Amino acid sequence: MSVLPKFRTFFKIIKENGGVVGSFLKLYRTEELKDGTLVGQDKYGHKYYENKRYFIARSRWVDYADDVGMDYDGSQVPPEWHRWLHYMTDDPPTKVPPVTRKYILDHIENRTGTHEQYVPYSTTKPKVHAWQSPRAN
Amino acid sequence: MVRHVFINCVLCVHFTEQVHPEEGKLEWREMTDRAANTAFMIELSKGLGIVMSHLFKEPATINYPFEKGPLSPRFRGEHALRRYPSGEERCIACKLCEAICPAQAITIEAETRADGSRRTTRYDIDMTKCIYCGFCQEACPVDAVVEGPNFEYSTETHEELIYNKEKLLENGDRWEPEIAGNLQADYLYR
Amino acid sequence: MATLLRLWPLKRGLGCPGFIGTLASRAQSTAPEKIEIFVNDKPVKVDPRSTVLQACAEGGVQIPRFCFHERLSIAGNCRMCLVQVEGSPKPVASCAMPVMKGMKIKTDSPDTRKAREGVMEFLLVNHPLDCPICDQGGECDLQDQSMNYGSDRSRFTDMEFAGKRAVEDKNIGPLVKTIMTRCIHCTRCIRFASEVAGVEDLGTTGRGNDMVVGTYVEKLFKSELSGNVIDLCPVGALTSKPYAFTARPWETRKIESVDVMDALGSNIVVSTRGGEVMRVLPRIHEDINEEWISDKTRFAYDGLKRQRLVTPMAKNAQGQLVSTEWEEAFFRIVEKTVSLSGDQIAAIAGGHCDAEALVALKDILNKLGSEALCTEEVFPMDAAGTDLRSNYLMNGRIVGVEEADKLLLIGTNPRYEAPVFNAKIRKSWIHNDLDVAVIGQQPDLTYECEHLGESPKLIQDLVDGKHPYSKVLAGAKKPMIIVGSAMFQRADGAAVHRAVSSLAQTVRAKSGCGEDWRVLNVLHRVASQVAALDLGYKAGVEVIRNNPPKVLFLLGADDNTITRDDLPKDSFIVYIGSHGDNGASMADVVLPGAAYTEKNSTYVNTEGRAQQTRLAVTPPGMAREDWKIIRALSEILGVTLPYDDLNEVRERLEEVSPNLTRYGDVEEANYFKQSEELAKGIKQQLSDQPLTPPQLALKDFYMTDADITSITDNVALRESCHGVGQQ
Repeated sequence: MSVLPKFRTFFKIIKENGGVVGSFLKLYRTEELKDGTLVGQDKYGHKYYENKRYFIARSRWVDYADDVGMDYDGSQVPPEWHRWLHYMTDDPPTKVPPVTRKYILDHIENRTGTHEQYVPYSTTKPKVHAWQSPRAN
Repeated sequence: MVRHVFINCVLCVHFTEQVHPEEGKLEWREMTDRAANTAFMIELSKGLGIVMSHLFKEPATINYPFEKGPLSPRFRGEHALRRYPSGEERCIACKLCEAICPAQAITIEAETRADGSRRTTRYDIDMTKCIYCGFCQEACPVDAVVEGPNFEYSTETHEELIYNKEKLLENGDRWEPEIAGNLQADYLYR
Repeated sequence: MATLLRLWPLKRGLGCPGFIGTLASRAQSTAPEKIEIFVNDKPVKVDPRSTVLQACAEGGVQIPRFCFHERLSIAGNCRMCLVQVEGSPKPVASCAMPVMKGMKIKTDSPDTRKAREGVMEFLLVNHPLDCPICDQGGECDLQDQSMNYGSDRSRFTDMEFAGKRAVEDKNIGPLVKTIMTRCIHCTRCIRFASEVAGVEDLGTTGRGNDMVVGTYVEKLFKSELSGNVIDLCPVGALTSKPYAFTARPWETRKIESVDVMDALGSNIVVSTRGGEVMRVLPRIHEDINEEWISDKTRFAYDGLKRQRLVTPMAKNAQGQLVSTEWEEAFFRIVEKTVSLSGDQIAAIAGGHCDAEALVALKDILNKLGSEALCTEEVFPMDAAGTDLRSNYLMNGRIVGVEEADKLLLIGTNPRYEAPVFNAKIRKSWIHNDLDVAVIGQQPDLTYECEHLGESPKLIQDLVDGKHPYSKVLAGAKKPMIIVGSAMFQRADGAAVHRAVSSLAQTVRAKSGCGEDWRVLNVLHRVASQVAALDLGYKAGVEVIRNNPPKVLFLLGADDNTITRDDLPKDSFIVYIGSHGDNGASMADVVLPGAAYTEKNSTYVNTEGRAQQTRLAVTPPGMAREDWKIIRALSEILGVTLPYDDLNEVRERLEEVSPNLTRYGDVEEANYFKQSEELAKGIKQQLSDQPLTPPQLALKDFYMTDADITSITDNVALRESCHGVGQQ
């Protein structure tokens, strides 16, 4: 086992991550530098990579879109890529497109703590109708 | 009685031996070795060396949220209510999920919809009661309620986890691409 | 139409004794010697008139069945009750097979099982697999029995994609929902309609696979007992429309209670879920309702959720009733009441009050020095009036009609005033050859009856023996006279009562039925009347009209017997009750009470039987049990009532009238002679006005009891009467 391939991989990683500055920024954001092939990109701008050199659970990863900045969150992965990213299937949605239904809604991230968070409410009508006295006159 | 005491004594002795290892031999050669070990911090640098070597090795942990662990297509996560391809909600208010739920997390109220079909007016799941056993999706005759693949729905307040029908249907509408794929992947085994 | 085994008309026509008759009636003939049979090799002694199915039940073996029902004639068409009888080459239908001496019945042999499995398979070939959306799911006989006898796989292969048999749903009204594809042709509903309800509306057309249960032409199932077919249907073909899809039997709590829609006090089970009444089902009480209840009893519950009084209300400066606090409402009452003397205070009790509230109201008014306590329902107070209990009770009891041989109905239409009782009369008419005669406008009673006329003078003629029917009555062994309480609402009510009681005495004397047989029966219309009279309320609001009070308490009184016009301008009206209607509209202060499903309370039915309703759901909002409201008010008025809990109120009830707490028992009264003696003093003359029962058409039946059922808002019943009205 020579040291040379290690260096080659190291420089490849630096290169793929956008040079020294890019790598530094990347490292700042993800705390890790990896090299891999771009499998696809979803409509929110998240990029999905794969490199089978890493073991399963590390071999696929997501590079969150630039516009989320440091506010990346696990729940930002849309379902079609979620399935691939979690190794439920080996076919990325670019290869096997998921079902299309007209009612399917856009993905949203977990919005707890924001003003758009879900607030439960009753979906039923009130059980008892109170009597109102007829208007006088 | 006597025998017990004896055994206890033996154990005691054994125990002290392990905690306080015997002192090294008081010979020059061995004493010098020990002194050098301490003076040059040999053990410390050995440990540091191991740490340094791991810096260049592949980590054994996954870098969430960029990398995610493998999940089964049968993973039982956040609940969702599904629809037929036409957009009609599947749930027919048979209440079998409510009946089988061991945590009694599901509350259903139903009535006749304007078109005469049997539909729920209330479908509440208390996600904090739910034990994610998956009996509800097993009981469902129309594959309406499913435990989807999503587990990233933690909330800051308790009330956000009291899901109502609208929320569950919305979950279904958002996660349908994946739910449908998972059901498809597993249909032979159900 | 497929031939049904209709044995009952034969029975009536020929008068032949058969086991069918004995099944349904409580014939008092002497039981013949028992014979021995063997059920699964176990010797059992049974009545020789019983069927194999009944014999097996006696031997502790429950035979599965769909078409057989204890209270209906035997059809024998479902074949689910097949058993093997030793010596018989084929399995026999146990429901229709009379026992024979030494019969050896095998109820669980492989052959029996195989036969039943075959029957089940045939049933399931055409029965849809829609249990998840079927309201019967969870209480379905077919579901239960298919667990035992159903195959785990189907041989039904639909090679041609023809589908299962499908049948068009019938619209038979707003109460009963039909999903006829689920029908397994047990014909229970048809037999119920023609035998118990007495309307020949249902029947079958076609044969074999084409057999269809329906109404022949599209029409409503017009019966006041129509809801009972829902319980009878072993599958989900007939279900309740108002209850449709709302609950499952396994998630409801069942509370045994008593109905207050009529004066019979039918026993009911109130099914609730989450503080909401989901449905009302009958509870078996052989002496009152057997296992039937009227449609009003069954479907009135949705009125419990509408037009409810949920907060105390008081009039604001603009004269508008607005929600307020209990304290505020009480202080308003005290303000008006505290300076008044007793004779300026009065109270009226409505038709659905419980005895606890009645006694509390009576005590508080008595303590304030008032005696003006009235019921809305009038009863003649002249002579003995309500002092003698036998004057206002159905003395002969509800079951008495099963023993009677002659029945005279005076100014009453039991079909709508007490539908279950009418079913009992009909049963007696079928099985016991009861002869029924009617005085007053003749309603359609579902059985034949002799119409004597409409004038009240006829009663006097019968007493004097001028009318030919008096001979018939005199020849009766067990005559019964039932007079509707509506007749006492007439101007000549006292005279009617006098005439009826003297007729009863005359008939009793002439027919020689003995002192123990009660001839005179009063059929009340409202549930609270007997308890109110027992407690000493004055019947009718005459007292109040003659002496208009300054403060008037209305305890659920909604019939407009007293209006604002009858009272002085500055009078103050307090309404205590569960529903907003006439009474609440004219009140100055409204105190929200509990409806009959929301309290543990006592009601006495028309035969004098004290029964309890039980708390099934809590009263809505700030509403409280009526007696508790009155108890709280008494404290603020400074006349604290000496009871704090239900037991203490009941002790007080017992003090006033011990029969009120002897639950389940009929407290009899027998003062006919004394009453008649006293009644001779009544000078009032019978008028010529015809005796007209208040409810003559089915529409009237659905439109009454507006205060508690809030029928103006009660969707199911309102639709029902629209439907009936249109036809």
